[in-house]
Amino acid sequence: MTFAVEAEGLTKTFESRSGTVEAVRGVDLQVAAGEIFGFLGPNGAGKSTTVRMLTTLSTITSGRARVAGVDVTDEPDEARRKIGVALQEAGLDPRQTGRELLVLQARLFGNSRSQAATRAQELLELVDLLDAADRLIKGYSGGMKRRLDLASALVHEPEVLFLDEPTTGLDPASRLVVWDEVRRINAAGTTVFLTTQYLEEADALCGRLAIIDGGRIVREGTPTALKSELRQRRGLDHDPTLDEVFLDVTGRTRERAAGEVQELQG
Amino acid sequence: MSQINQTLVLGERALREAKRTPDALLPTILIPVFFLVVNVGQAAKIFPSGSTTFLQGQNYAAFQLPSSLLLAASFGASALFLVEEIEGGYFDKLRAAPVSRTSLALGRLLSESVKNIAITTLMLALALPFGIRIASGFLGFILLILMCAGWAVVYSGFLQAIALKTRSAAATNSAGLLFFPLLFLTPNFVPRELLSPPMEFAATLNPVTYVMEGLRSLILQDLNWTAIGLGFAVIIVSATIVIAFNVYTMRNYD
Repeated sequence: MTFAVEAEGLTKTFESRSGTVEAVRGVDLQVAAGEIFGFLGPNGAGKSTTVRMLTTLSTITSGRARVAGVDVTDEPDEARRKIGVALQEAGLDPRQTGRELLVLQARLFGNSRSQAATRAQELLELVDLLDAADRLIKGYSGGMKRRLDLASALVHEPEVLFLDEPTTGLDPASRLVVWDEVRRINAAGTTVFLTTQYLEEADALCGRLAIIDGGRIVREGTPTALKSELRQRRGLDHDPTLDEVFLDVTGRTRERAAGEVQELQG
Repeated sequence: MSQINQTLVLGERALREAKRTPDALLPTILIPVFFLVVNVGQAAKIFPSGSTTFLQGQNYAAFQLPSSLLLAASFGASALFLVEEIEGGYFDKLRAAPVSRTSLALGRLLSESVKNIAITTLMLALALPFGIRIASGFLGFILLILMCAGWAVVYSGFLQAIALKTRSAAATNSAGLLFFPLLFLTPNFVPRELLSPPMEFAATLNPVTYVMEGLRSLILQDLNWTAIGLGFAVIIVSATIVIAFNVYTMRNYD
């Protein structure tokens, strides 16, 4: 079976002044085509580093990764043709207009000038940015930037879409708009690999998820299965939330988080 | 899409960016013109055109003009835009597309060369009313513009490499200032043979000297192929080194 995303023993180490830092320590992942897969973890757990390796943006220290059946190390350009990427902090050029950015992106994926203009128009309609299409991006709101970033990741109709914390910093209404977009994109057949810190987002969108902590996958399954496993193991008399699952598997507690805040204040 | 087309598309985008930030372009013209006016004001009386043989019948401004043209070609503002792009995440967006790393490196350098052609033409147009002539004729004028544009690619490439390695606006900005010691170690005020022996030695080792002498020969003399050839040779070798380093850094960027 060919998976949309497949990683075996994925490892990333960085050299720093204080020595070698192991950001990702042997991650194994299998994401089936058509899934919305959630990748959760606390800050610094290795989520973004894993995504950067899967999207060819970062070298792999050891292990293998394939997206849409293509090895990201051996054939990076082929892998790039099959994936769309929207990273944290919508990566946009503030000195271009929304339309210019989409046309440029479409041209870099091999479209002619006229094809790129047509595709940009389609995407601007899709993400409801036609009215702002010819304004400079620096004047866009956070929600508009996110939608444009999403559109720019879709110019080439990718098989797999990587979204790295797509709703961080958005107001609740804009967040719901992005959720609807993600569902619509997935319904059209695109596999979505989503990292998020918002557990209700993972619960609402993802069919399956993995939790990473300290560079290792510590839990994997459907949200329902993870919750019911916790309920049984702890003998809880209520249905746990995904927040409780997350706190349980990462060893973090509310008390510890409060303690960390107090230490910072001291 | 071929590498050439990718480079053109990225270069067009960088030019659009430059057009939309005239504030960044203005010092590129004003500072070199300021240096020309000040240097000529300070030394023109020492070197009257009638009795100074190295001026070849022109005024001292003609001798000084290459310094200002080189300075104008050494701002490399696009490297600072690149740092902004790295910090803002757009650079990763470009890297996630199936774009040749060579095109990523060359796109901005192409725009710098086009920008410099416009700036050099403007500065020459400003210089003509002050009695400066291009003694090497129309071909010399074209070669002069190409040499300045070539140097713009070299120095912007150097600054772009610093931007890629450090990802820091402060470091990239500071690297831009390195051009001043290089400029002052050239035969900036008098020909090389009139410099003191230590300065002449330093100027002989400095590659910028040969570009300046190439430019100066095009302004003051008929076509002097030795000086022109040396100027272009320095540019070609330097450009090859900085572009190769840029491409290597882009390919290994993490």
